[in-house]
Amino acid sequence: MDYTKQIQEIATKLFSDGKIDIFIGYRKNSFDDNQVPVLITHPADISRLVFDDKSVFNLTNYLKFENTRNKRVGIIVKGCDSRALNMLMTENQVKRQNLYVIGICCTGVLNEQGEKAQNCLECVMPDAVVYDEILGTPSGKKEYIVNADVKTLAAQGLVERGEYFQDIFENCIRCNACRHSCPLCYCEKCCIDQETSALYNGANTVSSAFHALMTWSLHLAGRCVDCRNCEKACPSHLPLHLLHKQNEMVIYENFQHHLAGMEKDDRGAFYKYSLSDPDDFIL
Amino acid sequence: METQIKETQGNVVSIENPGIIAPADWQPVIMGILCNWCSYAGSDLTGTSRTQYPPNIRIIRVPCSSRVDPWFIIKSLQTTADGVLVSGCHPGDCHYIAGNYYARRRFLVIKKLLNFVGYHENRVQFSWVSAAEGPKFAKVVQKVTDDIKKLGPLHKYKKENLK
Repeated sequence: MDYTKQIQEIATKLFSDGKIDIFIGYRKNSFDDNQVPVLITHPADISRLVFDDKSVFNLTNYLKFENTRNKRVGIIVKGCDSRALNMLMTENQVKRQNLYVIGICCTGVLNEQGEKAQNCLECVMPDAVVYDEILGTPSGKKEYIVNADVKTLAAQGLVERGEYFQDIFENCIRCNACRHSCPLCYCEKCCIDQETSALYNGANTVSSAFHALMTWSLHLAGRCVDCRNCEKACPSHLPLHLLHKQNEMVIYENFQHHLAGMEKDDRGAFYKYSLSDPDDFIL
Repeated sequence: METQIKETQGNVVSIENPGIIAPADWQPVIMGILCNWCSYAGSDLTGTSRTQYPPNIRIIRVPCSSRVDPWFIIKSLQTTADGVLVSGCHPGDCHYIAGNYYARRRFLVIKKLLNFVGYHENRVQFSWVSAAEGPKFAKVVQKVTDDIKKLGPLHKYKKENLK
């Protein structure tokens, strides 16, 4: 999966036609690990653009910032990123007419160990669902697979599972990098910030980390597209995908196989209901 | 797989933290979040018709069961509550037409997520109680209190300065 040449050609054409002001892509890192995102405003910088198996980040995250809002933007999206873009358009955060979207038929990106990433192994939609131009051959929708880590944990006892999560919440340093790196966390004021206020029980305790991560994951339930930007951004290397994948699994199994961002104008699992939703857990 | 409920010499052992033991006469605190139109009126009927139910429940009135943010439940568990009961109108009876259908979806996800991170599934319970079901409300509170008495005190992720 190397589309560096095609992307450079498309970007050159877009700048010369005057279709875009900014192009969001990837550039090479000084080290030989992940490609890092780059915002290009001048055609002279186009040669810096690359795209290959190491282009792991979800670029739609950069659409929520001041310097790209209300500007004409060219952007590269993989399958999961395009689902995030779909969610952002449905939630009126970006305007479709301002975007020129280069969709990629993704074959999976690599993790830090140089193997295929876990979310790519379990990917349901590798092809971009929103695009103006598509690169690669579409391979179609895949079958939903329950996350392997969630399955292993669910098979464990309550106390062991509790201790495992206690460890996760203890290691959280409350830097909120997960929230900043998430393309779907765009609120200017976030409700989890009130836990950090000095008036309100101090800052970084296990309790406040529990509150923050749980509330955050529940706000993303039915919206999370499993791009794992949060996990890549986490300085403590916490397995944040566990919470999201658990919610995604419950939603997929119980609410008519709902997956976030697959269709246009789908606002997420909690914005609709069915009369046949499971009711057996209610007294 | 669920952990076995232990009882040692009449003391109550917390199911999530087996190291924590409470005396046999320990009483749980249960947060009851009730919808204004059905369950709150139902609980009122229980009181006015002099039906006995455990006094462990502390009731909060909300406009609708869909007003219950997951945050309320997390907050209750973080502070003094040992368990939470959320109650609303029966499906189809919602004062706001479909609020409880939206709430039902959220409740399932919250319940499963809390169970996933290590809370027993009976810590957070949901019920539908209409304004005419005074005796049912008493039964529900009795059941929830009995369940939570078996689970023992909750010591997970409590705020440290709340003793």
